Formats: sequence, structure tokens, C-alpha cells
Amino acid sequence: MSNNKTYWKGLPELKNDATVIKNASNEFGDAPEDNGHSRRDFLKMMGFSVAAVSLAACEAPIRKAIPYVNKPADVDPGIPNYYASTYINGGDYCSIVVKTREGRPIKVEGNILSKVTQGGTSAQVEASVLSLYDNSRLRAPYIAGAKAKWETVDAQIIEKLGAAKEVRIVSNTLLSPSTKAAIDAFKAKYSSTQHIQYDPSSSYGIWKANQQSFGTGFIPSYDFSKAMTIVSVAADFLGTWVAPIIFTKQYGVNRTVSVAKPEMSRHYQFESILSLTGANADYRTPIKPSQEGLIVAQLYNLIAAKAGQAALSASIDQVANLEDAANELWENRGKSVVVAGSNDPAVQVIVNAINNMLGNYGSTIDTSKPMNFRQGNDEAMDAFIADVEGGKVDAIIFYNSNPVYDHPKGAKLAAALKNVSLSISTASTEDETSALCGFKAPDHHYLESWNDFEPVKGSYSISQPSISKIFSTRQVQESLMLWAGQENVEYFSFVKQNWTNWFHASSGNGMDQQSFWDKCLYDGVLDVTGQSVPVTFNSDVAAAGSWIATNYKATGTDFEVVIYEPCGVGTGAMANNPLLQELPDPITKAVWDHYVTISVKDATDKGIDMKHEEFAEGRTQIMTIKVNDQTVNIPALVQPGQAQGTLGIALGYGRTKVGKVGMGMDGNGIGVNAFALVGSLNNALNYSATTGITVEKTTDIFRLAQTQIHHTSMNRPNVIQEETLTAFKERDKSKGPYNPKVTKWDEKLDASALSMWKGHTYNDHHWGMAIDMNSCTGCGACVVACNVENNVAIVGKDEVIRRREMHWLRIDRYYSSDAQAGDYAGLEKASENPQVIFQPMLCQHCNNAPCETVCPVAATTHSTEGLNQMTYNRCIGTRYCANNCPYKVRRFNWFKYHDNQQFLQSNPSMNTDLGRMVLNPDVTVRSRGVMEKCSFCAQRIQLGKLNAKKERRPVKEGEINTACAAACTTGAIVFGDMNNPASAISKLLEITKDEHGAAPTDKKAGNPRAYRVLEDIGVKPNIYYLNKIRNTKAAKPA
Amino acid sequence: MEHNKNYVVGIFSDEDVLLDAVGSIRDKGVKIEEVYSPFPVHGLDEALGYRRTRLPIAAFMFGLTGTCLALFTQIWMLGYDWPMIIGGKNHASLPPFIPVTFEFTVLLASWGMAITFIIVSDMKPYKWPRQFDNRSTDDKHVMAIDLATNKLSKQELAQLLKDNGATEVNEKNF
Amino acid sequence: MQASSSVREYLVTGGKTVGDVSEDICRQVEGKPTTLWIVSFAISAVVLAFGFYCGCYLLWNGVGVWGLNKTVGWAWDITNFVWWVGIGHAGTLISAILLLFRQRWRMSINRAAEAMTIFAVICAASFPLMHMGRLWLGFYWCLPLPNTWGSLWVNFNSPLLWDVFAISTYFSVSLVFWYIGLIPDFAVIRDRAVRMGNKTRAWIYNSLSFGWDGGAKTWMRYESVALILAGLSTPLVLSVHTIVSMDFATSVIPGWHTTIFPPYFVSGAIFSGFAMVLTLLLVTRKTFKLEDYITIYHIELMNIVIIVTGSIVGIAYITEFFIAWYGQVPAEQYAFLNRMGGPYWWAYWCMMTCNVVSPQLFWFKKIRTSLSATFVLSIIVNIGMWFERFVIIVTSLHRDYLPSSWSMFHPTIFDIGEYLFTFGFFFCAFLLFAKFFPVINMAEVKSIIKATSEKKH
Repeated sequence: MSNNKTYWKGLPELKNDATVIKNASNEFGDAPEDNGHSRRDFLKMMGFSVAAVSLAACEAPIRKAIPYVNKPADVDPGIPNYYASTYINGGDYCSIVVKTREGRPIKVEGNILSKVTQGGTSAQVEASVLSLYDNSRLRAPYIAGAKAKWETVDAQIIEKLGAAKEVRIVSNTLLSPSTKAAIDAFKAKYSSTQHIQYDPSSSYGIWKANQQSFGTGFIPSYDFSKAMTIVSVAADFLGTWVAPIIFTKQYGVNRTVSVAKPEMSRHYQFESILSLTGANADYRTPIKPSQEGLIVAQLYNLIAAKAGQAALSASIDQVANLEDAANELWENRGKSVVVAGSNDPAVQVIVNAINNMLGNYGSTIDTSKPMNFRQGNDEAMDAFIADVEGGKVDAIIFYNSNPVYDHPKGAKLAAALKNVSLSISTASTEDETSALCGFKAPDHHYLESWNDFEPVKGSYSISQPSISKIFSTRQVQESLMLWAGQENVEYFSFVKQNWTNWFHASSGNGMDQQSFWDKCLYDGVLDVTGQSVPVTFNSDVAAAGSWIATNYKATGTDFEVVIYEPCGVGTGAMANNPLLQELPDPITKAVWDHYVTISVKDATDKGIDMKHEEFAEGRTQIMTIKVNDQTVNIPALVQPGQAQGTLGIALGYGRTKVGKVGMGMDGNGIGVNAFALVGSLNNALNYSATTGITVEKTTDIFRLAQTQIHHTSMNRPNVIQEETLTAFKERDKSKGPYNPKVTKWDEKLDASALSMWKGHTYNDHHWGMAIDMNSCTGCGACVVACNVENNVAIVGKDEVIRRREMHWLRIDRYYSSDAQAGDYAGLEKASENPQVIFQPMLCQHCNNAPCETVCPVAATTHSTEGLNQMTYNRCIGTRYCANNCPYKVRRFNWFKYHDNQQFLQSNPSMNTDLGRMVLNPDVTVRSRGVMEKCSFCAQRIQLGKLNAKKERRPVKEGEINTACAAACTTGAIVFGDMNNPASAISKLLEITKDEHGAAPTDKKAGNPRAYRVLEDIGVKPNIYYLNKIRNTKAAKPA
Repeated sequence: MEHNKNYVVGIFSDEDVLLDAVGSIRDKGVKIEEVYSPFPVHGLDEALGYRRTRLPIAAFMFGLTGTCLALFTQIWMLGYDWPMIIGGKNHASLPPFIPVTFEFTVLLASWGMAITFIIVSDMKPYKWPRQFDNRSTDDKHVMAIDLATNKLSKQELAQLLKDNGATEVNEKNF
Repeated sequence: MQASSSVREYLVTGGKTVGDVSEDICRQVEGKPTTLWIVSFAISAVVLAFGFYCGCYLLWNGVGVWGLNKTVGWAWDITNFVWWVGIGHAGTLISAILLLFRQRWRMSINRAAEAMTIFAVICAASFPLMHMGRLWLGFYWCLPLPNTWGSLWVNFNSPLLWDVFAISTYFSVSLVFWYIGLIPDFAVIRDRAVRMGNKTRAWIYNSLSFGWDGGAKTWMRYESVALILAGLSTPLVLSVHTIVSMDFATSVIPGWHTTIFPPYFVSGAIFSGFAMVLTLLLVTRKTFKLEDYITIYHIELMNIVIIVTGSIVGIAYITEFFIAWYGQVPAEQYAFLNRMGGPYWWAYWCMMTCNVVSPQLFWFKKIRTSLSATFVLSIIVNIGMWFERFVIIVTSLHRDYLPSSWSMFHPTIFDIGEYLFTFGFFFCAFLLFAKFFPVINMAEVKSIIKATSEKKH
């Protein structure tokens, strides 16, 4: 028998102490009580702490915020929450959905519930999320440049306001009814208060013209989706004019062509600079700004002749395409639209008259639902500045505006501001205006704010905070009400109250107040059916005509300058956003730079050195341009399509008080402030200068950074496929536009049908993409969306000059060339007025990927769902894959772009604590020395599959989408599962498994417009392009 | 090595004389221990009646091992252990495996044989060779005859060597 | 015994005897280094140091310090790699193939040539290493080693991996071949040291010679090893550049995607290899007074090899163009027209003149037997061969399929620095070799003295 000796664990056991007996069975006697904490609880706690940490200065979690989808409002680590909200920047508007992770907004996307923007976005909207984490944001209120407490600020302001005789509130266009109500409350207290609205890019001319034509000033709703003929005289409605997101959405509708719908609109553009809109036009005529009025008048005359009405005194001859435009407008009466970018009321009156003659009012133009995006009143602003100079004003509150920088008379205002006793800036970052203001009462970023908006009459939307305020800032509306003497103001309840008062009765349809409000928050938008006031056209066209006859000239030899708003940094409010600074301009493909666009002929005349071998790489000279009393030095960019004798200078540059990013690599700022060049014509701002201009070329060398230094497609059919609408209608629809053959010793085979290997079948999913080059306008929203979603490094000007930008998705822009095939030297030169084609280019996820074969360590391989995967941890950086990529879409981390002070200026989102908050936790930040590329948003695919798996169901169509496809306003990019016959992509491409093909994985697209880039080399991509179709009579119009 | 061995050492300065000498001396039934030369004298090994070396066979075996090993490794790794889809190719296909197989074959064959050579010739970095006359690496051919293994006397052998053209004849004891 | 035809010129002049051979060759090993040697070594060392700095800078900051970009992912790095590998071909070729063909004129030059091979291959190998984004992982992730990540193996489909095996095999086999050859000669130095009573040197060279005794049995084994090694090295030397050429030939890039590459690269390699051997031998010959062993006859024979290989290379160039035209692939046609007339036309025409035109001068006996002319031309040929690789790599990459990503390449100081680094290393190594190792294979030369040495007058 075994000897059971027991050893006492100390005396207590020997004495059979009570506790010993109690714990006898319990080995870990003094373990903590299990108070029912589960792993999930731990995660919750952790999630909360993560959130708490990330929300610097966050005293409470978001209140009363309802997620967009049915998720608990509390933060689950790793699970994103979505909130409907609204993007607002000056008068620019977009209804959005904000994606938050661990309480941090990391991505914005369009809100499809909005009837206004219909889920569309723009590059600026996509980039705006990074502005929330802008290091240059003010973190507290300031008095005379010194940090202060809100209490003291309020006290002093209220005191000074009390003493003030004349108070002014200056803002850009205000879309928010509740804010206006708050301002009214303020006015109630300070009766002398006037609210002045102006816009950096003014459309006052249209407002004024409508006042003359219809009695009331407004900007009507345009509907390009109903128009079969579109004539635009210098209106960049796809890029920057009034409401580009909306117009792009509408425009796309009639630009897509299919066998079912073999019709598309025809678009005539008359403009001086090659704008984004002009690049998409079927017929584009370069004109001088001094001709704009006459061209509109001539168009009137041509149509009036048909309508049997009197011609105007103004006219112009030999304008290419003008007659055709007039004829087609007349043929498409009621199905057409004429727009003009000019800010001259007289011109806009004529445009109204033309649209009236064509009966477009009520069809393509809706006066009953005015757009509120541009309410700026140039005259009022001028008067205001005059008052300030005259010392009449002694209290100014600047809200959502930076007039010192972005108003032509900013300098005058700046000088006069010193004498204003009370000047308050509510800008959330230091800017030119706030720098001169005695008080800084910083506003929230829009993602931290409660607000409401009425972009279009009867359509409302709400902005709810998706993060609690990061810094000690306060919403302007609250400030105003506080200063108006109200107690415990809370803008949130103010908005909620307003909505209940205004809409619950009419649109509540039976819901109680709370659930009505919740629904509004959930949707983010609300449409109320308002009564429409019928308006009748009645205006003195002849007077306008004679004004034009005197103020515009048909011919002129001296230079004229066009001042335009660029698609990237816009009017400069977002100049500190690196995503926009490194977004290639859709046309020039230049980044980080300000330049003057000049036609090839003028450049030659001015002696710009284009012979130098590095010219193509952006080596150019600086021009000295005198506009009346203003002089600017700015590098020249030779631009095909630029009207001869004109120069184009962008707004939005030359910021002097802005964060590190906006100050450029050398810290001296980027470019010059072109607002100073903006003149005035007919009591409205005039964004062109037609007289008193001298242009000199200096010998100073300047290096422009461009992401594309070769501009023609070299007549390569395997890259670019385009045809005219008539050609498409007539041709055999059983084949695609491009069917390369491969010659075997005995026969010719389809390139796709030939393969050395059986290939591997993708049994469940087969992800693919279709890109319609017709509805792609080239705006670049997808590029920014991709950067944000995938933590793509922004590398800065120097690296771009070294051709090392990291964008996973780029938009190739090709100009047409006049040279014949084979004349390679000639093909490198673009036409003088080229046709433009945009081709979004990203990893093609080839089924026979050349990159995979050559990687020595198998760091890039193919998934069983057709994805070309990149394994960052395994990559050793031989770059062989990039060399062997026929599409050159692979990007190499030449340096450590994160946690590296060298890239602080260009890449704050990877080099500052605040900036890092924007990074998408689902995507690795790539380390130095590894290759990266488009992953088809693998993380989104994974999320979708996991959601489906949790709910034990197959993945639903449309539940997985890539960032670029989601961002595309016109829906040019379609992503989906090609194995699912019900998916949008399968339907669009008319996918049928290729039974002849050697590779069963290789889908055959039945769509007669579908082709694959470089199909002939047999790499079998999973991205299909729908060819470009031009609605022109001949393939190359004169 | 065993001690008190006496050798008669013949020095030759011309390889052809040496070759004739080896022949005639061995005809006399004299057993030659070894001949040391500054460079390979062709035909000397036959004259001394050495068996052909089997190093080539060793080399072939090593090479064969390399081939099999390389082929197996590649097919197993890519085809069976962890098959990956690479460029749409088959998991394990022969053509891309040929280069590595070839290189590995050559590698094993050459190193294997070289090492075998060092071992069988009993060469070691720290070992001093037994030298009968160290001019044998310069310009002299040295023929060593062990007295113990021959019936002829020292003088007879010396005479024999001289008759066959040895420029000098010495005696060497270890 | 080898037959020697009387019409053949003497391979060794000056009536050398077997004894003289040992004396002449060992002299510079035993004697003090000459001033010339010290000076040139110092210069090489300085260059090496600068290159080393550039290398460290590269590793610290990233490959971005080179002038590469998203379109041109390889430029000087792989150009230099291929160039050095090419140079590294002559040694083994001379030793192995000429041994198989029983070309006895090789005997006095193969030792130096092999040494050159080994150093050149080391230089070459340094570029694939340095061009890696993450060298610290790459240098061993390229090998199919068992690892803790489970089944994580390399991609045997990748030509780059074939390179890893080809280069390392080629290096180690050449090393063996070279060293086996050195063993008997070390013994010579050892025994001379013994006679001079220099114990240390005797001890060192004895261990280097593995205690070589020179017995007939050992010689027999030795010869068969040498022969088999030669037999193995011959296909090896051809395979190496074939595989290097596959880096390009197996790709899809126009200008790379060419089946002619293997033979074209191999002949190019022999071409540049012989040129480099000549450059070095002409210097060594002068510095170490070996005119009697490396004779004009040797040089002339090597120049003839250069004419032949140079012409093969020339034909390869022309064939490429013909195929581009004949194949009717637009991208391919453009790639080749772009070489001639594109932004890098100067590189192309430099290559053409150096590689195709200049070697033709060797048709004139006067030129191919003139030392100075040979020296100059041998350098020109190597410049040309560098440009050949540059043209193939850079001009093919910088304008491939999509014009949108067309780009240029501009080298930086660090591109140049890495190149200098290899030069510094190469010459330091070669000078050390020439000083401390017998530069000529004494055993082999001795074996032919009787047959081919010019008799004393």
C-alpha cells in the first residue's frame, strides 16, 4: 500500500483554521470573485478606452446619435458604425455617410437616400475626413493671439458687442435654416446686425439675371439628365460650377450607351481653358473670355431666327460648331439646356432668354426648386468692404469664410480690419482672416457638428457629429446665441426643435416626434413637398444685348487671363489637405503646384524652352504676368486645348496663413493668390481679365510635378478603344470593339482563347470590375477615396517629380494626336485642340498575372476568388513584379513614408498623432522596401463575407463594394462577383463562361462595348473597360 | 608511419627519362614505392601500374543525388506541401523546375567529388607530407624505393637507378 | 602525352626551364610588394571605402536614394549585376572549355582568369542583394529553408530564384576549381620556403596546400578531378548567363520578351569576359614581368575569340530588330525603334560602336598583336557591354505598354557609388591575389615546358 503522508501547509491547517477548511477544496483560494465579466465585456471596455483615448478632450460619448445601420451606438472594437451626415464647405454641399471605427471617423461616402446628391461624392468630399485631424486646427479660443478661456472670450465679446453701433456677420453661402434662425436670434439682440453672404467663386450673375428675368433672384435647378443637347459656354459644371456633384450625376445618365439604349446626349463646350467639362464634351471650341458674351448673343440670334424673334445688336461670326449647336438645340427644344459660366448678369439674361425660347424651363430647368448653393451677393460684399474702409463698421463676425484671402478686395479689407474694434473669426484653423481678428472663437469641424441644411428648396438634410469635439471648440450657432444673451444654449436641441416645428406636422406621417427625429437622423435627409411659385420670363434682352455689344469684342490680339477654380484644392479652403494637393489635376496631371496654362503656340512665341530634354518632365520657366496693377510670377504649363492668346490661372493657391501642408515643401507657400486678379464687371465679380495684361517670360527654371509626363496614347488600340455613336449603332454587336488575334502556325485564335495552362477554377466568388470610359468624367473622387480607404502614403512634390507617387488607382488622361500611325515622333505631340479620354487604371488582377510568376518568394499570389494578392510581410522588394507589370500599377515603398520626419509635410496622416487617427485599422501601413498595389479592397470583401457568414447566408449582391466604385458619382466603376449571374457586373458585361477558352476562370464579356486593356498579351485581366463613345459626326472633328 | 625504414631515392630531371626508368626498373621486379613529380607526368600512372581512380563514379553518384533531391523538393513544396496559384500556372509543372535541378546537380557533384578527393588522398591542412626530397615540387622527379620490400641490396638499387638515368641517388631513412 | 605541332608558336619564350618557372612565378610572392602595387592597392582601397559608405547610406535610408522610379524599377543595379556576371564568365570558360579542347595556350592565363571570375561573381552578387528593399530578410528568404511559419516556401517559377541557385552554384564551383588548381603551386612555395628556412611562410603555404606531396597517385586523382570539374563547369558556365538572360526573356515587357536572349547573353558574356581578362593580364604581365609566359601569341589568340564573340553579339542585335519587324507586334517594334531614336539613343549607339564596330579592328594582325591597341579596345568593349545591359534594361522599361506611365531614369551619386564599391572590391581582391598567390599555374606550365618552350640559343 502506498504511504499517504500529509504535510501541513503551516500551522493554520494543523489547527484546522476556519478559512483553511473553507478554502480546502479551492486551490486558488484568494482568486478575485468572478463578477460575470465576459470576454465580450472586456472587448467593450477595451473598445471604450480605445475610443476614449483617441477622442482627445472628449468628455462624453456621442449623444443621441443613431447609427446609419442597425448597430448599437456604443463602440465595438473592429466593427464600424455608420452615421448619416452632411459635408459642407462654403456653399459646396454633399449628403454623406460617415464610417467610424473605434469612435473615429475614417471614411465618408455618398448617401444614396439623398434626392439631391443621390450618393455622389467629389474628391473634396472624400478628402474632407482628413481635415478633421488637421494639425493646424485651433485647439482653443484666442484673444489677441493669446489662448483664452471661453468664459473670458464670451464676456469680452458681449461687452464689446453691447458698445457696437454697426455689427456685421460675414459668411459664404449659408445653407442652414437653423443657423439662419440662430443669426436672426442674434439680430434680435443687436438690431444693427447685417448678415453678408459672398462666395469665393461667385454665381451672383445668375442670381441677378434671374431677378431681372423672373422678378426674384435665385439659381434654378438644372437637370442635365433630361437634356439631349447640352451647350455650355465656359461653365465647368462637371468640375466646379454651382453644384458639380449633382450635375455630374445627371450628366452621367445620358452619357452611358448600351445596345438597349443606343442614344446619348451631345455636348458642345465653348471655353478658353481646357476644363474637366470641356474634356468630356463631344465638340469643344476654344474661345477667348472676351468673346463669351458675343457667343451667347450669337447663339441667341441663331435660335431667335428659328423662333422668329428679333436678333440682338451683338453678334460674332466664324465660331466653330456654333451653328450646329443652335440647330440641335432647336431640334431638341425642351430636351436641351444652355449654361454659361460667365458671372455677367447680362450674359446670363441672354442665356435665360435662350432657354426660354427653347422651352427648357419646366423640363431641364426648374425654377420652382431653386438651388441654394450660391447665395453670395457681390454688391453687398463690396458695400460691406467699403463700409469697413469707411470706418462705419465696428463689429465683424467672420463665419465659414476667409475674405481676406478669397475676396478680390481682401487686401483692402485686411488693411481696414485693424481699425475695427471688434473682429471675431470662427474659423477652425488659422487663416488669413483670423490672423487679423482680435478674437478667435473656433468652430467645430463639420464632422463634430450638429446642423441642418436646405441645399435645394424643399430638400433638407442633417449633419450629426460622428465624433465628439476633439479640441476646445464651439459651434458658431451656440456662440451667436450665447452672445445674444441666451442661457444654456444647446444647438442640438435648437435644431431638433426647429425640425419638429417645421416638418413634424407636414412630413411626420403619423410618427411621434422622437421617432420622426430618429428617422431624420437615420436617413440624414428629408424631402418636403413645397408649393411651387410659377414664374414667367420677362426681361429686357435687347438691353443686355447692347451691353454685350459694347463690353465684349469679337477679335483681339493681346493676352487675356482666365481665373478658374481647380478641382483639387478648390477655392483654397482645403489647401492644407494633402490628399487634394497630391490629387493630380484631371487635365494637367500636376500636383502640389500652381501654374499658368498657356497654349503651345503662345509658349513657342514667348520662347519657353520646350526643346530641353527635361521639358517633358516638368522643367519649365516662370512667367511674369501683369494684370492691371497686379503682378504675379508663376511657372508656365503648356496646355493643349488652351485657346490661343489666353492664360489660365487657378484660384486656391498662394495661401499665406495655412498649415504645414499648404505651405509646401520649402514652407514658403504654394503659388500665388489669384483672387487679387479677379475684377468686377456689371456689378458682379469677373473671373477673367481681358485688358491691360502684359506677359513676360523670365529665365528662372521651375520644376512642376506631374504624375503623367507623356500625354498621348501613341495610337495603341490595345490601350484605348473609342468609336463614334453612329459607328457603334451600325457595327456588329456580337463582337467587342477590340478582338486581338494570336497567330499560331496553322490558324489565328482569339488572344483570350490561348493559354499554356488549364488555369484554376474559382468555385465560389470571382471578383471583377467594369469601368465605363464614357461615364467616367475623370474627376478623381475615386483616387482620393482609394487613398483614404487603403492608407496610401502621400509622398510629396519631390517624390512625385521622381515619379514615385503611391496612388493605387490613377486616372490616365490621353490627348488625341493629329499624326498618322507609325509616325512615332508625331504621335507624341497632342493636337492643338485635342479630344480627351480618361482611363482609370488600377491593378487588373490578371488571371495569368505576370507579377506572380516572377516573385522569388511568392509574396504575390492569386486567391481562389480571382484576386491578385500582395503579402506585404513576405515581400523582400526585388521590384521584379513591378517591372513585369504591363500596366505599371505596382507601387514600391522607396522610403519609410510613415513615422519619418522627412515626410511630415506631405504625409501628416502617417507622421503625426492626430493625423494617424484617420488611418483605416483594417489596412496595414506598408513598411519601407515592400511593394504594394490595389487589393480590390480585400478588407471590404472580407468584411462582407464575414457578415454573411455570421448570418449564415450567401453574400448579397451590392453588399460588397470597393471604395473607388462607391465613390464614383456616375457609376462608371462597377465591382462585383462575376460568378453570380444576378450581379450588376455580370448583367452589365453580359458575362458568359468561356467554353472555348483554355482557362475556365476567364470570363467572356458579351457586352459589345467591353474590352480588356492589353488583351493581346494574354494576361487575362479581371477588369473590363467599356469603350469610349463620342457623339460626333466624324471620328476626328475639325 | 613506421620507423627505421630505409629508402633508396633516385632523382630524375627529365620526365621522359623517368618514364623509361620506371618501366625498366619494374621489369627487373623492383617494387617502386612512389614517384613524386612537380607536375603530372602523363603515362606515369600506367607505368607504375596504378588502377584507374573511381572518382568519376563518386562524382556521378553525387550528381544523381542532387538531381533527385532538387526535383523532389520542388515538386513537393509547390505541388503538395502548400500549393499556390501563381500566374495561373499548374501547381507543379516540370519546365520551371529544370534550372534549379540542373544547378543543384552540378553543385553536389563538384563539391562531393572535390571533398572525396581530399579525403581519399589523405590531405589535411595541418599535415606535413613525407618528403624524400623537397625539390620534387620544383623541378626534380623523385623515385622512392623501399629496401624492405625489395630483395636487391642498396648498392644494386643505386646502380640500377644510375643506369636508368637518375641524375643522383640518395638514401633516406625515416 | 600531348602532341604539339611545330607550326604553333612558342607558348613560353625566353628558353625557360622547369626550374625557372618556379623561380619566376614565386618571386613576387616571396619578395616585398612593389611601390606600384602599394599605390594601386591604396587607390582601390579608397574607392572601396567610398562605395562602402554609399552602400551603408542606401541600407539605412532605403532604395529610394537611387534614381529608380515606379516605371523603371531596375537600372544601374541590375545592369551592373549582369555586367559583372558576364565578366565572371571568361575564367571558368578559359579553364574548363579550353581544357576540354586541350588548348594548352590557356595554361598561363587560366589562374588569373579564374581569380577574376571569382571576384567578379562576388561583385555581381552584391547588386541583387543591395537592390532588395529588405536585404535583412531577403538574403535568406530567397532560400527554401524550413521555417517556423509552417509551409512557407520560395517560388520556383521565378527566374530570380533560378538566379539565386545559378549564381551561388557558379561561384562555389568556380571556387573549388580554382583552389584545386592552386594546391600543387602552394606546395611549390612551401618547399621553397623550407629551403630558404622561412618557417612561417612554409607553415602557411603548407596548410593552404593541404600537405600536398605530389606523388604519382595523387597526381592521377588530381588530374581526373580537374577534368571532371571542367566537364561540369562547361555546361554550368553556359547555364549561368542563360538563366540570367531568362530574368528578361521570361517577362512580358517588349524588348525583354525575347527568345534569342540565352545564346546572345552567353556570347556577350564571353566577349566581355575575355576583354576583362586581357585588361587585367596586360597589367599583371607588365607589373610582374611575365612577358615570357603571357606572350603576344596568347594575346592574339584571345583577340581572335573577341572578334568571334563580338560578331555573334552584333548578329544578335540585328536579329532582334529583324524579329521585331517580322513579328509585327507594335509594342515590340516601338521598343526597338525607341532604342535607336528615343531619349536613350546615345546609350544605344554607344553600345553599337563599342561592341560591334570596335572589335572588328582585330581583323588586322597589326592591331591584334599590339599591346596598347589591345588594352584600349579591351576597355572599350567592356564599356560597350555595360551599355548593352543598360539599353536592354532601362530603355525597355522606361517606355513599355501604357504611355501614361512612360518615364525617364536619372542616376544619383549613390547609383554611381555602388558601382564604384564593386570596382574597389574587385581590384583590392585581385591585387591581393596577385601578390600572395601564384598568378600562373606553375604545374601546368612546367608540364608543357619541354614541348613548347623556346630552346636556349
